[in-house]
Amino acid sequence: MNNEKLYIQAFVDAFEIDESEVSDLEYESIQNWDSVGHMMLMAGLEEAFDIMLEMEDIIDFSGFSRGKELLAKYDILV
Amino acid sequence: MLLKNKTALITGSNRGIGLSILKCFAEQGCNILAHSRREDLDFIRVTEEISKDYNVDISLIYFDLEDSSAIKSAMRSIFKAKMPIDILVNSAGIIHGGLFQMTPICDIRKVLDVNLFGMLEVTQLVCKYMVRKKTGSIINISSVAGIDLSPGNSAYGLSKAAVIAFSKTLSAELSTYGIRVNVVAPSLTDTDMAATDQAKKERQLLTDATDHFVRMAQPNEIADLVCFLASDKSAFINGQVIRIDGGNKF
Repeated sequence: MNNEKLYIQAFVDAFEIDESEVSDLEYESIQNWDSVGHMMLMAGLEEAFDIMLEMEDIIDFSGFSRGKELLAKYDILV
Repeated sequence: MLLKNKTALITGSNRGIGLSILKCFAEQGCNILAHSRREDLDFIRVTEEISKDYNVDISLIYFDLEDSSAIKSAMRSIFKAKMPIDILVNSAGIIHGGLFQMTPICDIRKVLDVNLFGMLEVTQLVCKYMVRKKTGSIINISSVAGIDLSPGNSAYGLSKAAVIAFSKTLSAELSTYGIRVNVVAPSLTDTDMAATDQAKKERQLLTDATDHFVRMAQPNEIADLVCFLASDKSAFINGQVIRIDGGNKF
């Protein structure tokens, strides 16, 4: 699976939504993306990309697009 | 065996209560990530014997709880090696006694750095793994000193009270993921820590007593409770602080 698919899948798994709903998502824009869901997403991304996210990036991860920018800091290009 | 096929990370496992927990867990079939601050040949030998006796894997992990980078690096290596962590026991700690008016603030900071902040850092990293798995048991070793807060506890007692407060908060946050957090609060326990000057007065009181329950706790008594809390036998026990003190209060 390429990075984009892995990235999208992490959202799908964390929030139990369809792939088609992922691209414009932002924190708290859907019920499942609350703080609990957020930690599930962070855990899923860490596992998918074998990285350990810094706390400041976990806090800064505000949406699907912003997330891609943050992952670039870990040399993960989505 | 209560912990067969589980893996536990135990901090401060090279001595005292932590070592007793390591032995107890191994007896119950648990594989162990055994933390100590630095490499120690005696400890390596002990863990090799325990591993062989009980047919469990024991991996040694070294980091200083005051060194944030070292903690992250060690935890990163655990996760990269895909080592599971089903149980976390935060047992590492240092002792300190003395009246507040005679305790330098830097000493209080040091105790908090090891007993609280180091513990927080390890736990925050392990939590992310447990959240992914939606299961886990975290047991934090506090102390009756953190509950009774008698004179002389502005450092150690303070740190252990903070462990209790943190654990209750964490339990409330992690319940939603199916992760349990509990605290064990022992009274003075028969370890190296009890042999220090800080514990002298209490140790003397307990040694001179003739009542069956007025004595120091034994490390294996603490370990047995921790083992129970780590196991599925305590599946509905969560957010609790359990004193283990023979019913005494000094």
